Amino acid sequence: MQLNFAAREVAIKLVYYGPALSGKTTNLKALHELVREGSRGRLMTLETKDDRTLFFDMLPLVFKAETDAGSMSLRVKVFTVPGQVVHSSTRRLVLQGADGIVFVADSQTAETENNAESFLDLRANLKELGRSLSKMPMVIQFNKRDLPNVRTDDEIDDLARRGKEPVYKACAMRGEGVLECFFGLLDRSWQRLDAEHDLKAKLGLGPAAFLEMAAASLGHAGKAAALSAACVGGQRPGGPAT
Amino acid sequence: MSAPSPTVGNTPVSAFDVVGDVTVRIEDVVDRDSLEEMCRSIQTLFGINVRVYSAQGALLVNVASDLDVCTLVNEVSAGRLACGTTVSAAKSVDPGDDGDVVHACYTGLAYRIVSLDYEGRRIGRIVLGPYAPAGLRDAPPSLERTVTKLDIFQANDRLSQVARVKPEALARIARHLKTTLELIIFSSHKAFVTSKLHLYSVRESYRALEEKTARLEQALAKLKELDRLKSNFLGTVSHELRTPLTSIIGYSEMLAEGIAGPLSEEQSEFVKTIHGKGEQLLGLIMGLLDLSKLDSGTMSLRQASTQIAPVLKEVVSTLAPVALKKQVELTLESDNVACELSGDAERLRQVFLNLVENALKFTPRGGKVTLRTRVLDGVGGPSDDDDDDAGSVLLAPMRREVEVTVSDTGIGIPSSERTRVFDAFYQVDSSSTREYGGTGLGLSIVKRIVDAHGGTVTIEGNDPAGTVFVVRLPSAQARRTLPSRVPPPAGS
Repeated sequence: MQLNFAAREVAIKLVYYGPALSGKTTNLKALHELVREGSRGRLMTLETKDDRTLFFDMLPLVFKAETDAGSMSLRVKVFTVPGQVVHSSTRRLVLQGADGIVFVADSQTAETENNAESFLDLRANLKELGRSLSKMPMVIQFNKRDLPNVRTDDEIDDLARRGKEPVYKACAMRGEGVLECFFGLLDRSWQRLDAEHDLKAKLGLGPAAFLEMAAASLGHAGKAAALSAACVGGQRPGGPAT
Repeated sequence: MSAPSPTVGNTPVSAFDVVGDVTVRIEDVVDRDSLEEMCRSIQTLFGINVRVYSAQGALLVNVASDLDVCTLVNEVSAGRLACGTTVSAAKSVDPGDDGDVVHACYTGLAYRIVSLDYEGRRIGRIVLGPYAPAGLRDAPPSLERTVTKLDIFQANDRLSQVARVKPEALARIARHLKTTLELIIFSSHKAFVTSKLHLYSVRESYRALEEKTARLEQALAKLKELDRLKSNFLGTVSHELRTPLTSIIGYSEMLAEGIAGPLSEEQSEFVKTIHGKGEQLLGLIMGLLDLSKLDSGTMSLRQASTQIAPVLKEVVSTLAPVALKKQVELTLESDNVACELSGDAERLRQVFLNLVENALKFTPRGGKVTLRTRVLDGVGGPSDDDDDDAGSVLLAPMRREVEVTVSDTGIGIPSSERTRVFDAFYQVDSSSTREYGGTGLGLSIVKRIVDAHGGTVTIEGNDPAGTVFVVRLPSAQARRTLPSRVPPPAGS
């Protein structure tokens, strides 16, 4: 997080991580389509000829917030990492300063090993950056729910309930589950930042108010809490599992 | 990254900047000449002057030609002064939240100021004008008031020559220019970021390659030396030991068969002992050869899709006569575990043959040796705040394993000795060698082979007496490829 009191600006960084071809860029494209034009910047995609992400994608979301302490500018920069194994150093670079992570897993059973490998890669990269997964706000998305040969809903629910991270199911190609997952992470990330930096006192903006304000600015007024809660498993900090 | 950061303009730019939230500066990302060319085309098309300023107020592009009326007022000192004031005001006026504002000139002309935004930040502004608003007829009173010595008729005449622009038309022009400029800034920024990252990734790859090369060179030198030593050793063992031993075995066999004449009962017993011990010695030498192959990493592994059940069945049927002779009960439980392994069936057979042989050896008459198999799924529930639990949703399917336990009711292994028994030649109690025989090579070979399969072998106590060897082998799904050879121990 970058907090600039003079410019009354807060910038947070969210990263979509996951194996190659699991749909991270598709998530960002869908998110770009689903949010209000006035609050989003251009989606920057650095891709090679064959449409694979070479370095990363980046979508800036910017909105104003009227807080008890006056008007604030809130900037959310959403990044994806390149999935291919070879781009490990770029993944580490993009991860630097991340405030939250969506892990986009491919639901197809054949991809189980790739999902696990990518997750371990994430863990190793974070460790190398001196950060720990257990302190990183994170949600897991099982994407490509529309495909055949995917892990069943029951299996995922069962695993999710036993795991730590909230799990969202999505079909990013159709834009399903994308907002839920995004708000889920935004919610958790802000709560973590609020706990660490006491943002409520500094900015006059509590977590619930922040999320609702973000949803309103992005064209989804009144839906923030419901979107964020549309997951399975995940122990909320300081509260019972949802 | 150890290399110094490159600079753009006066600002040092590191690779991190492009993935952080750093304000983009027009002057960093846009080519000044191309920008000017584009603004000039607007001026040529609509006859309106275009200026572009950075967020800090620096003039980046100035495509302007003086209007006749401006030349006229500038000939008078009061006019020149007022003109300067107007221009600098137009330069610094706040375009407001909408980013679009009109600033009037005392001559009746006006400027239109439009903000340039990127990623939600003001990064500069476009100033269009001066132009004549559509409704303007004659010079307003402010002109006469400000520049008293001016020929007002001449001024009106020149003012009438300036083309009138409707506010909607100008808004469209401004919007077009703003969109085009913002697009150019976006594409340039994208190219900038890409080149930045190319540089970063090339540097990283180079660094990684350098490290790898150094490591490889070291390893190569070491391996060459080891290889030479091992070859010598292997040659010595096989030639110097096996050749005479083969003769001993052969001749004692012939003697026992009575080829050199009949033997007394006692002589025959002695010769059979020589023959038996010779075979035992040959077994030891073969074990040594195996170990030496393991050490040099030349024991090959043939990967194939394997089931554990047939391997264990074969082991049990091979050793059933030994068990019968010793009057030890040998049983195989739950022998139909179906889980595909990716391994070398022959080597796995060797593993379990060794373990069961070992168990039989140390189990007294009337005891029991039991093999059990089961499949483990390896999902732990969410517990303490530890990285190891994170992501179990994704990792659990990778942790599927087959567990084989070999339990006996023998003399047991004290818990303090349980890790050392896998060392070559190690025996818990050297006196046991005399009582039970054996070289202490079997378990070290077992461990190496199991390790090469990505599995584990551990020892637990068997209540009330005896030992349980627990072998865990990953399922085919969890482990993709087997090394083509059993890797040599680390550090060799």
